[in-house]
Amino acid sequence: MTELLQNLIDGLGRGSIYALLALGVAVIFGVMHLLNFAHGELITVSGYVAFWTISEGWSWYLVTPVIIGTAIVTSLVIERVAFSRVRGSSDFTLLLTSFGVHFVVSAIFLLYVSASVKTFSEPGWVANTFPVGSLNIEVYDAVVIGVTLVTLLATSWLIQRTMFGLALRAAAADFDTARLMGVRSDTVIRGAFALSGLLAGIAGVFWLMRSGHTTPTVGITPMLKGVLAALIGGLGSLRGAVLGGIVLGLAEVLLRSRLPDSVASLTEGFVFLMIALLFIFRPQGLIRVAHAERV
Amino acid sequence: MAEPRGPNAAHAGMFPNLRRDVAFPIVGVGLLFGVFVAVGLLYQNSFGGAGERLVTTAMINAIIVLGIQIYVGNTGVLSFGHIGFGAIAGYTFAIFAIAPAEKIKRIPDAPLGLTDVDMGSWGAVGVAIAVTVVVAVFVGIGLARSGAESGAVAATVITLALLFVTHEVARHWPELTGGERAGLSFRIGGKLDTRVPIYLALAGALVLARLFAQSRRGRLAKAGREDDLAARAMGVNPMVQQMIALLTSVAVVSVGASLKVYETGSLLPEDFFFFFTLLTLTMLIVGGRNSVTGALFGVAVITVGRELARRMGQDGFEVFGLGLDSEPLDWIFRENLQTVFLGVAMLGFMIWRPKGLLSDWEFDDWLYRRFTRTQSAPPVPQATMSDESEARLEVSDVSVVFGGFQALSQSGFEVSSGEVVGIIGPNGAGKTTMLNVITGLVPATSGQVRLNGKELIGTPSHEVARAGLVRTFQNLRLFGSLTVRENVEVTRLVAIAEHDDRSTPETDVLVAAAGLWDHRDRRASELDYGNSRRLELARAAAARPLFLLLDEPTSGMSDTESLAMVEQVQTMAALVGAGVVVIDHDLDFIIGICDRIYCLDRGSVIASGTPVEIQADPAVQAAYLGSSAS
Repeated sequence: MTELLQNLIDGLGRGSIYALLALGVAVIFGVMHLLNFAHGELITVSGYVAFWTISEGWSWYLVTPVIIGTAIVTSLVIERVAFSRVRGSSDFTLLLTSFGVHFVVSAIFLLYVSASVKTFSEPGWVANTFPVGSLNIEVYDAVVIGVTLVTLLATSWLIQRTMFGLALRAAAADFDTARLMGVRSDTVIRGAFALSGLLAGIAGVFWLMRSGHTTPTVGITPMLKGVLAALIGGLGSLRGAVLGGIVLGLAEVLLRSRLPDSVASLTEGFVFLMIALLFIFRPQGLIRVAHAERV
Repeated sequence: MAEPRGPNAAHAGMFPNLRRDVAFPIVGVGLLFGVFVAVGLLYQNSFGGAGERLVTTAMINAIIVLGIQIYVGNTGVLSFGHIGFGAIAGYTFAIFAIAPAEKIKRIPDAPLGLTDVDMGSWGAVGVAIAVTVVVAVFVGIGLARSGAESGAVAATVITLALLFVTHEVARHWPELTGGERAGLSFRIGGKLDTRVPIYLALAGALVLARLFAQSRRGRLAKAGREDDLAARAMGVNPMVQQMIALLTSVAVVSVGASLKVYETGSLLPEDFFFFFTLLTLTMLIVGGRNSVTGALFGVAVITVGRELARRMGQDGFEVFGLGLDSEPLDWIFRENLQTVFLGVAMLGFMIWRPKGLLSDWEFDDWLYRRFTRTQSAPPVPQATMSDESEARLEVSDVSVVFGGFQALSQSGFEVSSGEVVGIIGPNGAGKTTMLNVITGLVPATSGQVRLNGKELIGTPSHEVARAGLVRTFQNLRLFGSLTVRENVEVTRLVAIAEHDDRSTPETDVLVAAAGLWDHRDRRASELDYGNSRRLELARAAAARPLFLLLDEPTSGMSDTESLAMVEQVQTMAALVGAGVVVIDHDLDFIIGICDRIYCLDRGSVIASGTPVEIQADPAVQAAYLGSSAS
């Protein structure tokens, strides 16, 4: 029982980060029908910024806003340089464009920094724990879960209660009609990329705090988690993305602690297998999004 | 999908036209192969050992890229997973081909006693193909199901997940794969001393890729690529076609992957991962993913470009022997330049030329057009077909509710062979919903649709079409990058397989009857509005339906064009012996063409009868004529 509770908290911590990533993916999918394989590059770029600033002796309290700012700016720059040129293209083009962005960004770091791992110090409190009853809760997990909760509430307010949120929802439902109703496509798309960058920035801070290193390809894993979580939840659904992230995090932690030691290193493989089965039996993901096609 | 049967079907066979679809492709592909190999040998002779390796690698990459093209090109679904399939094939091949004495050193504890298996290279290639194809069947089911539900994007993510699974398993199952660092090495026989297997595999891959594209299967798959929904409405089941394309494609990739492992002499998880995916996909899209010629061309272009980038990254400008001072350009000519080159090539092509250099141009198709005398006069339609069978479509008590909106309530109509029945009504009356229910695109809340007494509610779209109800689309859903003839031919192929007991008019006859003879080799996407409508009609008629269901065939047409359409619909219906149900709000058109008319208003039939009766009906005048005052 204690172990299960412990797993649930660990899984919730991990799932929170995935949820933030998945939500960023889902927001962009909503307005552009683009599944962004370059989402992880926001963390790659942030990772190098963290490395440079921390080696200059900056504290994590200063680095945190810098990372989030970097992720937002990177997101907007990528939109401007690449995605704005393929708006309205076929899925095929959009997917490969984001794949290309991933490679160009990571190759630039490969070319001008190096392929080697750059490490930086994590904040001292990351490994600390505090006891609650018989449980040992990591300060890190508690902070992640708390901050994610606040972020999700704020995002929900933004999407449900503001003009920008209304425009975003309208654009996601029917982009052309939204434009006819006076929604400015540039504003809503750039806003979506900024929001996506913000969410990835927060997730990136947590990701980098924990890992303490960066490489040119460090973004691949968070990208994959975000994209898969968004798909598990049901493509196009924001709530589904958050749910998908948490489910993915819980599944990983529970599997890793339950699998026998000999195959524990294959956890990721098992998780993918479960996802594949999910798609065979429930191809629309956890939350179905109605998408009517006019005939 | 029903297999072709009966004499007429056997006549159609796997290839619609043996000369165009088999003879010319084989000749064309043979010439391409010759040029590709000749250029390679020329390069190899001028650069020696390093050149030889480059050429061998290029040929193996070409096999894998052609394999990917079979799936991606014909189905239009982007796959990141083919290199994952390559990993499965590569490891299977290595594990089965490496001699036990060698395996004991690397993987002494392989499961299932695989350490002791001694098979030799040829047998191992066979096992690699078999294992990979079996995995592909399962992946293919997931792809088809999620693709049908959430579109091609979901399918792409599944293929990406496959790439990661194979990579994870390869890294973390050292008992089988030798793990992340050591990997497997291939010593028996060492490197290939002869290129013969590679030449054979490359030639085979070229022929297979080209013949698949021209085959009946390939053509049906391409219809699904162009417009999934329209393909279903014409009787094509894209899921089946995608699965067949996937299995064919994966088999070719398996051969290429095995050769790659054999040639490299070692195998690490990284060999079949992101970089190789980037490389092969860039080759495919730069050349043109919809074309076999393009795929091969892309391999050549990227191999040359990448080699230049690599050399410049190493030695700056010395590669040209000019000895220029490369110092000022040091910031760009660096060691990893080739990755940037590939990424930028992919990005650049997606932004500025997403269809690639050659788009869907095929060398043998060009040859065929040059060396085949074109028929100048349109074929004269044969005598119209007599109705061998009396068919009857009865739609009764159909209700459809969208959310709280009652789109149809207790509506229906009847039509028999040889009749033209019209359904009129103001916008929002439920006319198109009626067609959507009949063709299985919208589920009915209640009601019956019976064709010759057989209930069709709940039948998937493609089976409704094969049962004999084929529609056109108000908002035009042609197979855009196929030619006019190909659009008609695709549906005709389904008809031939399905209605072996009835003859189907030749493609050219249908094209001519629709008044599209002068446009027969143009792409459907290049047609103007009126011609697009006429092609919708011809494509539906080619399915040889019992009933043609026409959704606003004159929408957007001028008065003269509408009048001409009356005659075209009548000719076409007579040509294939079909009854007609036509929806329109062009009253002159409907009255000019129909034997009987039903008038719908707010989801209910408010009147039915002959055109004269309908014109005189006060309810119709109030609901329809009154409001639109034409």
